[in-house]
Amino acid sequence: MVAYNIYFFNRQGTCLYYYEWHRPKSVRQGAGTSADDQKMMFGLFFSLKTFAAAMDPRQDNKSLGAPLRIGEACTFHSFCTNNYKLHFLESPSGLKIVLNTGPDAGDLRDHLNYIYGAIYVECVLKNPAYTPGRPFSCELFTARLHHYIRSLGL
Amino acid sequence: MPRQCSETCLELLALELVRAYGRQSRVPPAAAVDAIGFRTGRQLAERYTANRARLGEPLEVIKFVCKEFWMEVFRKQVDNLRTNHRGTFVLKDNTFRWLAKLSVDPAPPAGAAATRAVASVAELARDYLVLPCALVRGALAHLGVNAAVTAEAAVPPACEFTVTIKPR
Repeated sequence: MVAYNIYFFNRQGTCLYYYEWHRPKSVRQGAGTSADDQKMMFGLFFSLKTFAAAMDPRQDNKSLGAPLRIGEACTFHSFCTNNYKLHFLESPSGLKIVLNTGPDAGDLRDHLNYIYGAIYVECVLKNPAYTPGRPFSCELFTARLHHYIRSLGL
Repeated sequence: MPRQCSETCLELLALELVRAYGRQSRVPPAAAVDAIGFRTGRQLAERYTANRARLGEPLEVIKFVCKEFWMEVFRKQVDNLRTNHRGTFVLKDNTFRWLAKLSVDPAPPAGAAATRAVASVAELARDYLVLPCALVRGALAHLGVNAAVTAEAAVPPACEFTVTIKPR
């Protein structure tokens, strides 16, 4: 199982952290530039969230077009293509974590929760040198994240 | 059962305390944080020595600070205690919990910039060490040891607290 890359987005769509372990197809062949790549990724979630809520066959509320609050309605966890699997987690504060792994990855929701709770919250939010909302790249966070991903066998 | 508070609350409060005082300019921030720490240190020392025997010698007081006080406030004991037997003690803590989360962006590999980055972490740590120093000073003062306390964190999270007992 291999991990390709990871994105952290804040509520407004700014990419706070991006790291790629292994990305054979260069960004230029894909979206064009790094910024475009991140914008496309963020736009995807917005559309997917709206789509998932609209197509939900079980719940019977919410007119189409009503703004979706975080955690309400149905939330999508991951999608799988023949080449990669994309895992998604949205925290109550609007922070979105996206992880691309190989297609045989399984359910990584607990791991994403750990990355949010024990790595992001501990190393970034509690860091006195960090201003919330800005992009970050502090060493402690990077070291812990890589260590955790490696320990998962990715 | 004593009332408890989550460690996250305490960490975030200490962090914001330093930043809030740093932002305003009505009072000098270091002095304000020091005053808060001193008073709190005295009260904590009172609480933690409530049920034990009297501590006489300054050395005993320092040992109490290194073990019980550090355990209650910073969740571990001091790792190393040195003294010059003439009133100066150096308390070394290899993983000081209040500095454990402090981290900056990785330094660029060039030589001069890397040393500058390391220096900046040490300076940043100094601001956040004012409160612990004041806590220790308050505790010592309340137990009868009049001393000056400074701290230095050359390589966070390891840091050294230097206690210099003032001659009467």
